[in-house]
Amino acid sequence: MKNLKFLLLTLPFFFTSCEKDKIEGPNLNDMYGELTIIESLNVIGDSADFSVGDNMYFTASFSKQVDWKIKIEGLNSGSVKIISGKSNAINQLNSTWDGGSTHLPFFISEDCDIQLTFEMYDDTIYRQLNIQGEKEYNNENTVLITDFENGFNPNFTGFFNAGCTKALTNGGAGQGVKFLQQFGTCDWDWLIGYVDYYSTYWYDQNELVNNPSQVYFNIMINGDSTISQASNVPNSLFKLEFYEDENGDGYYDANTEDRYDYEFDVDWNGWRMVSFCYNDVDKLVLATSGGNAVRNPSKISNVRTLLLANPASGFAKADVDFLIWSFGSPILN
Amino acid sequence: MLFPILGQSQVKSKLWYDGNARVMYNRDALEGTLKETDTVSTRSNGGGFTILDLGFHFTPVDDIEIASEIRLKNDFGGMWGNKSVVELRRLSAKGVVNNKIAFSVGDIYLKQTKFTLYNYEQELSEYEPSVFRFYRDFVNYENYYQSNYWRLQGVQTNFSYNMYNFIEQLDFDGFAARVRGQEWMGKPELLMIGGSAVIKSSNNLNLGSHYVNTFEILSSSNSLVTYYNPVLNTQLSYSGTLKDKPYKVLLEGGFSKRGWDGDSLAPEIKGNFMEASIHSKSKKGEINLGFRYVDTDFRSTGAQTRRINYNNSTTTYPYYSNNYTQRKVSLIDMMSDPNIYNQNLSTSLMNYNPMYSSISPYGNATPNRIGLTADIDNFNLTDYLSAKVQTQYFSEIIGQGTTNKRSFNKSTLHSLLSLDKLLSLKNSFDIEGSINIETVKRGGDDFEKINLNSILYSGSISYELIKNLKIIAGAKMFYAEGNEFIAERDIYDQINDFEDINYDSKETILIAGIQHHFTEDIYFTMQYNQFNVLDKTNTYDEFSLGRLIFMFNMNL
Repeated sequence: MKNLKFLLLTLPFFFTSCEKDKIEGPNLNDMYGELTIIESLNVIGDSADFSVGDNMYFTASFSKQVDWKIKIEGLNSGSVKIISGKSNAINQLNSTWDGGSTHLPFFISEDCDIQLTFEMYDDTIYRQLNIQGEKEYNNENTVLITDFENGFNPNFTGFFNAGCTKALTNGGAGQGVKFLQQFGTCDWDWLIGYVDYYSTYWYDQNELVNNPSQVYFNIMINGDSTISQASNVPNSLFKLEFYEDENGDGYYDANTEDRYDYEFDVDWNGWRMVSFCYNDVDKLVLATSGGNAVRNPSKISNVRTLLLANPASGFAKADVDFLIWSFGSPILN
Repeated sequence: MLFPILGQSQVKSKLWYDGNARVMYNRDALEGTLKETDTVSTRSNGGGFTILDLGFHFTPVDDIEIASEIRLKNDFGGMWGNKSVVELRRLSAKGVVNNKIAFSVGDIYLKQTKFTLYNYEQELSEYEPSVFRFYRDFVNYENYYQSNYWRLQGVQTNFSYNMYNFIEQLDFDGFAARVRGQEWMGKPELLMIGGSAVIKSSNNLNLGSHYVNTFEILSSSNSLVTYYNPVLNTQLSYSGTLKDKPYKVLLEGGFSKRGWDGDSLAPEIKGNFMEASIHSKSKKGEINLGFRYVDTDFRSTGAQTRRINYNNSTTTYPYYSNNYTQRKVSLIDMMSDPNIYNQNLSTSLMNYNPMYSSISPYGNATPNRIGLTADIDNFNLTDYLSAKVQTQYFSEIIGQGTTNKRSFNKSTLHSLLSLDKLLSLKNSFDIEGSINIETVKRGGDDFEKINLNSILYSGSISYELIKNLKIIAGAKMFYAEGNEFIAERDIYDQINDFEDINYDSKETILIAGIQHHFTEDIYFTMQYNQFNVLDKTNTYDEFSLGRLIFMFNMNL
């Protein structure tokens, strides 16, 4: 019985030593603690040449988990890249940058301003970096239709109504230097104008992957966000038509072959990249007879871009640049 | 061990009766500044009822008893049967097979150990002066709280073997209860099964093992997820004497497992606990010293279900002020409102208000606690002055949201001064006083510090004017000040957020009236009560209420 009493007396001390170091629930320091910058923002890999696959990343550390945002802004291009996260450290895993843009136009070889800001806190850290070589978006995973840098291919035919403008323009492009201006007022027709980009004359002649869920169409559009006076909706309507030459005879037959349409309002101001998966182009214009009703990106023979506007509403504008197919993800993933 | 209440009854004649009768009327009226500023709520409201709970006990044969209890209720204000209710309050049967195996079916009252199946008292009810007892009796009776038993529906059986060697007796108990029935397009049925085996040896050493499993039946719903929560508790006790003073040593421990089959997101958590205590008794009083460790992940549906459900709406002025603010549960409701109480076992940890109870909101089974307890009961200082003292010190095992851990202190003192004995008066004249102090502290950086202090003063005077007719008066003053972080939990009881709350509250309860006892269990009381709840943080408007109450109670 003495042993039992001894056991009873010693057990509390045994359990007292069973204390654990982990915590239960979210860390209060992250919720209520003050933000202190332990290690300030550093740029690792400054002066990177993105055209040869270089990248750079940032490092910093904080006293708590915090929502942070790095904004990189090209001093010449005006391009903007946003990198954001929630953590107590910025490192290679959460801040690697390959030269891509969040807001167009693309970065060029230039100096950039960097701003590190925090949600709910006023602290801001400023830095600068330099881009030696801009990122090359056109690679083995893309098929470039045109970027207009070599001029407007005259084989890309089209039609613009009288008084409406289609013009190759230098300066102010979304990518490179040149872009195609499209604007005008047409008070008798919805159509401002259209351009046919035949696949035979695409800049890259690589065949598209025949898996519509892996093929993305990308186009830069420069809008002016004009609102229709008549209908109080955005004035410019942009439409894309994808023509599939299913029998491979080099000619699209509206009676026997499929066409897929995708349209949207141009309700923004400035350049924006519009990207969508070919699988999401859900408006099938059925052929009167035949047509397999299956999306076949490898059989696309023509991409037509149309700028439309309500005749009653006046001016419409949608400049275009950098029409490119990408595989696996949108071009600005 | 299981001690069904039914088992305490005796088999009598073919048909016999028992029950309870209660008549209650109260009129509540707004008081103080609220009476002027609240132009939305009614100035006063009232209500009352007559209740007769008639228990029938029928013994068709000697070994079988069928019991039922019919409630006849008539709310004041109804007529021609309107607001009159007849309902079945209890239906059960019990019996003995071959004078060896006892069983009960139907509505059964079950209790096992403090870690497996136990209905803990509501907070701040300990050491309450006796003038407040009528409210407490009313609340407990309406919610089927009998001692620390949970009322469940199912079957229970127990039997014993007497032996004549080192092992003197073997006791076995078992039960199966349906905690939650089938729900259309809802959750699966929730069952609870349990059993105990206790070995009593000839050298005063007892060994018991208790098991409870609460689980859902997959096939009873379209759900693909089922809950399970087995808990095992082993107890070892020894009784002896030291210098002619009897003592009892109890050592117990066990573990639990809780999870959801079929839910890949649900964690399966395992927790354990251990408690050691020594109890000794002398002419001066009883002393109890204990140590307790309960793991953070210990989960027990049967022992961690709380009586007070803070999500329930209060009966008296559930909304008040011109902002139509919902009135939160406060001390007056805890004392007098049966509708804020819970009658069902809960599979998740229920909310609690740290202002009223932080150290052990889930009784001894409160998870994440390690500490010591000491109490002296029935401490007779003189023949006219007795006292009860309790003190507890606990700490968290794992910090919540920080590596710093909360420490908890609770000290309670109750004393009874019998002035009639001191002054040699003919009629009884008692003064009671109690104090309940609780503190929660946590150190560290400013953002994580906790310092919450609450204190409840209670007192009462009871003077027997003429035989069995007493003038009574009582008061409770509750203060809480400081801050606490309220843990918010997801559906798996995992903490996913904290809310930093500041407290600066004062609550007052004053009662005065008369009470006449025909017998111990047959009495009436008529009182005027005054309640005040003042939140100095200005989160809630001050609430003041006056109440005139009459209650007649008769246990048949």
